[in-house]
Amino acid sequence: MMKKMAEFIIVLCGVLFWLVFPVRAADTVKVGVVSVLSGPLATIGNGEAWSAEMAVNDFGTVLGKKIELVKRDHAYNPGVANEKAKELYEKEKVDMIVACPNSAAALAIAQQALLHKKPFISTSAGTTDLIGKQCNRYVIKWNYNDYMLATTVGLWGAEHLGKKWYTITSDYAWGHDLLKHFTAALQKKGGIHVGNDMVALQTADYSPYILNAMKAKPDVLVLLNVGPDTTNSTKAAVQYGLKKTCKIVHALLFEPNMKGAGTEIFADDYVAGSWNWRVDNPGAREYTEKYMKKYGERPHFMAAAVYSATWQYLEAVKRAKTTDPEAVIKALEGHTFRDMFANPGYIRPEDHMQIAKAYLLRAKRPEEVKEKEDYFEIVGTVPAEEAYGPAGQFGCKMKGF
Amino acid sequence: MDYHFIFIQLFNGLILGSIYVLLSLGLTVVFGTLGVVNFAHGALYMLGAYTAYSIVTLLNLHFIVAILLCPIIVGVIGILLERFLISKLYKLPHFYTLLLTFGIMFFIQDAIKIIYGPEGEPFNIPKFLDGAVNLGFVVYPKYRLFIILITGFLAIGVWIFIGKTKLGAIIRAGTDDSETADALGINISRTFTLVFGMGAALAGLAGVIAAPTQDVQPLMGMNFLVETFVVVIIGGMGSIGGSILAGLIIGELVTLGIIFWPPMSTTLIYIFMAVVLIVKPRGFWGRAAFFE
Repeated sequence: MMKKMAEFIIVLCGVLFWLVFPVRAADTVKVGVVSVLSGPLATIGNGEAWSAEMAVNDFGTVLGKKIELVKRDHAYNPGVANEKAKELYEKEKVDMIVACPNSAAALAIAQQALLHKKPFISTSAGTTDLIGKQCNRYVIKWNYNDYMLATTVGLWGAEHLGKKWYTITSDYAWGHDLLKHFTAALQKKGGIHVGNDMVALQTADYSPYILNAMKAKPDVLVLLNVGPDTTNSTKAAVQYGLKKTCKIVHALLFEPNMKGAGTEIFADDYVAGSWNWRVDNPGAREYTEKYMKKYGERPHFMAAAVYSATWQYLEAVKRAKTTDPEAVIKALEGHTFRDMFANPGYIRPEDHMQIAKAYLLRAKRPEEVKEKEDYFEIVGTVPAEEAYGPAGQFGCKMKGF
Repeated sequence: MDYHFIFIQLFNGLILGSIYVLLSLGLTVVFGTLGVVNFAHGALYMLGAYTAYSIVTLLNLHFIVAILLCPIIVGVIGILLERFLISKLYKLPHFYTLLLTFGIMFFIQDAIKIIYGPEGEPFNIPKFLDGAVNLGFVVYPKYRLFIILITGFLAIGVWIFIGKTKLGAIIRAGTDDSETADALGINISRTFTLVFGMGAALAGLAGVIAAPTQDVQPLMGMNFLVETFVVVIIGGMGSIGGSILAGLIIGELVTLGIIFWPPMSTTLIYIFMAVVLIVKPRGFWGRAAFFE
């Protein structure tokens, strides 16, 4: 009798727990952040996860519900990103996924977003396919794209730095997309593409490619890579004396890599960016100070973009008064906002690209760096419409709802 | 067909080849003598680079000091690893030591990440080796010539040591037949420890030398690890001459690939390995195949 009573109580507790659990889950809004949290690119990816965490904590609650952040590492691998996205949407039941560097990985998550009918805000990948052939209504492209990079630094560079360009490209989806856009920008200014090298990711010795480049005698060396590949290629260019005869333009350049390699290597190189801590945006300084205090380094523009994307998503949930994906996305389409990242930012309904001013940045010489990790000088601004081009120019046919 | 340019590229391929030679010398000696697949070899290379950074940048000593001290420091670390960890597993099948060194690799990499941070450290060419030199056919960075020279000396040095000295003879005896060598009164376990330390020291030296030309970060050893194993297999496990020849060939092969067929440049290494193994299953001059 007592044994049966005990069993009954245990089962009852189990049932009650099982009933209560999903109810509690619906009381929270879950944000998933997928980034590269291991390997040499983690120095960039960590900033994205930290920013998402900051945004979630700073926002507090939305519609009376707590906000929970779930982090996943895709190790810069599209296959892993696909699996993590599936897990986040299905098992963790996140309401939205943000970040994801690596263009092929972002495309994979975009497909998962369409399949699961939940939003994905892609802040960190550059491919214009996300707002082109592979666009869908659940994906919002935040922050930058390869066309913007090529237009901002490419057009200016072809006019002011030189007409003969040599490109060194990382041989994967993102590199190919960059090459397409940078050569198009060069052509617009009547420049000559004197040569290109496709280089495997994570190559340590760039000397043969630098020798190839030197043979072509370019005015500008364009490095279409990121992370350790950027450091190794730039170091080789410096050591072989190529930097003495030509200027260097990067696709992406981040403070952690500059700190790791030493700023003298990147001195007077040019790169485009969508944000720098010095921009005149409401809350940019406060965000930077808080981030530096908590994580010990200055935030790079990917981190700032993730903070903004997460924040604006939560604002959209507030506006739509629901986490229902269609309503939230509709609340973001055509929306203009001002925050620490974009002042203003506008989300184009035609292709879901979040556009804002773009900045032309020059890497400072070591003697010019006066504040901690303040490695860039803003030398120019490009208006949003010019940096991003006409809406829908990449052939986006919105599907989804 | 710009022969001049191709010649410059091939000359430059000697650099890549030199790094492969330095790395594979250490690996093949350990492989051949101890039968240990040292996956931590790349991590020891990285340790050499970080030790160099610490000596030159943190302690403000001359680069030459780093070249002399770092191999000794990394060699001692190698000796400790062998004495306290790896030697315990000699009696077991080979994959046990393989797994152990694999684990050691992760441990070393993460330890460096914790101590120094993950972004890496700036390490540039020392002033006295900076700049370029006019060789007639090309104006070439002084430092890279330095790499070729040092590797050349070292390769000859290791060859003489293993081939012509008494200690080298002991090591060769231990490789060929450790039981008989033991029966003849040679302290085999001390020999093994010494050899592992030597392998580690060579890896560390490679790290010091390569550091100014590369991104010094905790995972820098991973860029060369697989290719180093390929070089050792092609040259023949345990063969010094094989490592030297195979290292140089691989360096040149990759360079040729970059000139003529860029997407295939790294794949060429593996095709070459496959061809060599079909014709000579033990590599060029391998003495004992791993699984025999």
